[in-house]
Amino acid sequence: MKKHLLIISAIFFAFLINLKAVAHAGDIQHQLTEESTIEQVLRRGVMKVGMSTFVPWAMKDKTGKLVGFEIDVATRLAKDTGVEVQFVPTKWAGIIPALITGKFDIIIGGMGIVPQRNLKVNFSMPYDYTGMSIVASKEKAAGFKSLEDFNRPDVILVVRLGATPVAAAKKFMPKAQLRQFDDESQAVQELLSGRAHAMISSAPLPAFQALKYPDKLFLPLKENFTKEPIAFAIRKGDFDTANFLNGWITVVEAEGWLKEQKHYWFETMDWQDAVR
Amino acid sequence: MDALITCCILAAGAYLFYRVRVGLHYRWDWGAVPQYLFRFDAEKGRWVPNLLMQGLFTTIRLSIWGTILATIIGTLIGLFRTSRGLFKRLLGWSYVELTRNIPPLVLIFIFYYFLSSQIIPVLGLDEYIASRDEGTKAVLGFLFAPPAMFSTFISAMMALALFEGAYIAEIVRAGVQSIEKGQWEASYALGLSRWQQIRHVIFPQALQRVLPPLAGQFISTLKDSAIVSVISVQELTFQGMELMAATYLTFEVWITITVLYLILALALSLGVERLEIRMRRSEA
Repeated sequence: MKKHLLIISAIFFAFLINLKAVAHAGDIQHQLTEESTIEQVLRRGVMKVGMSTFVPWAMKDKTGKLVGFEIDVATRLAKDTGVEVQFVPTKWAGIIPALITGKFDIIIGGMGIVPQRNLKVNFSMPYDYTGMSIVASKEKAAGFKSLEDFNRPDVILVVRLGATPVAAAKKFMPKAQLRQFDDESQAVQELLSGRAHAMISSAPLPAFQALKYPDKLFLPLKENFTKEPIAFAIRKGDFDTANFLNGWITVVEAEGWLKEQKHYWFETMDWQDAVR
Repeated sequence: MDALITCCILAAGAYLFYRVRVGLHYRWDWGAVPQYLFRFDAEKGRWVPNLLMQGLFTTIRLSIWGTILATIIGTLIGLFRTSRGLFKRLLGWSYVELTRNIPPLVLIFIFYYFLSSQIIPVLGLDEYIASRDEGTKAVLGFLFAPPAMFSTFISAMMALALFEGAYIAEIVRAGVQSIEKGQWEASYALGLSRWQQIRHVIFPQALQRVLPPLAGQFISTLKDSAIVSVISVQELTFQGMELMAATYLTFEVWITITVLYLILALALSLGVERLEIRMRRSEA
């Protein structure tokens, strides 16, 4: 009898402890939901989106309005969330610290998933893929046809400061010298002035440049030489928001909407007149 | 000799121009620039400032508020540094040496990422602005920055003021210390308190002496405001760089920005020169 009682009370206590743990987990869950970025966005009625100028992802048109692929994506995302969108133009070099310190809610700026970056921020699933492409100077890199041609110590490559093109250059052309610039236009200028052999950048920028300066630049490779997933970046530990974003991406992808936008901004030049 | 030097300068200029034309491989397109200064708004039916002019206005706002705040900080700290109390002197010394010996760029980064991200949410600035009515928002937008950029603008303004304040403090200190000891003694003999001495005797005289270096510092503030483009305040330099990233009109935009800064700073310099002449006349 005594033994029975002991077992029963043990079970009872175990149950109590368990109940408490369940209640505690519920609290944490509630708190997490309350504090998630997406909840805060809904409460505020405004989604703050960090982005950086990068043709044709995001740029200002002649009237000073932001246009571009990412701008369309962010606007639609905010509309589907039921809030206003507010863009926070930020320098690319400082965009991750700005996200972490809460200057905006989310980065929608053609940011590629890089493991090192992923240690600092959380990414949604990819909503787009881009690749690194190369555009070379006709004068300095005449006859270069493969990545191997560029992988020489006397070759100078120019890139925009940041992880993806630098990583691509170091991986595929480790022997070449690398010069980094604050934005693409400076890198292009360096290439045009004949101080560098080639520029590495996300497609379709190299192709656009080659079209614009056919007498000075050419595309040594016909295809992109990397494939990179592009995703939304949010602060760490926020699974509600990540889940919401993933759901949204799945929906617009299924609709074919992403593909349409991508075609408009990356494969046509219809938008060019509005910008310059 | 003068003619020779002039010839040399002209030749150097011509050579530079030639190199730019031939060596730079650059396709100039000046026609595209004016539309970024002003554009015709078809909806409103009038000309409105575009990117670059908006940037210029932000630069002017930033400089004015930064200067006012820096002058307040600088005067206070400058007086602290000439104070008789050891604590005040130490406080003033620490502030000046700490701020002057940190690169402004680093100071601004620290201020923006660490301090302002801690302070501004506590103050509830963003919520305060968001809850104002449209009229207040418009006034604040005109005086400072639109609601969306308000907190960034405020951090930039404070960082700039803090940085320039250290230099102004030194100017004020030099001004106060340049007043002859006899003035202090005479005012003391008249039975004025320490505060009255400063207020009625020392400060008016010091002000006259520090005006020229102070004016120089104001022009510096205007130029230094370009640094805050790193924290994405949409002032002239930032707007210009965004524009370059979008249009690749690198040189045209840089040159336009240079000219805009030059006009602003030159106007300020000439104004200060006028002021000095007038003050000298009133003195005589």
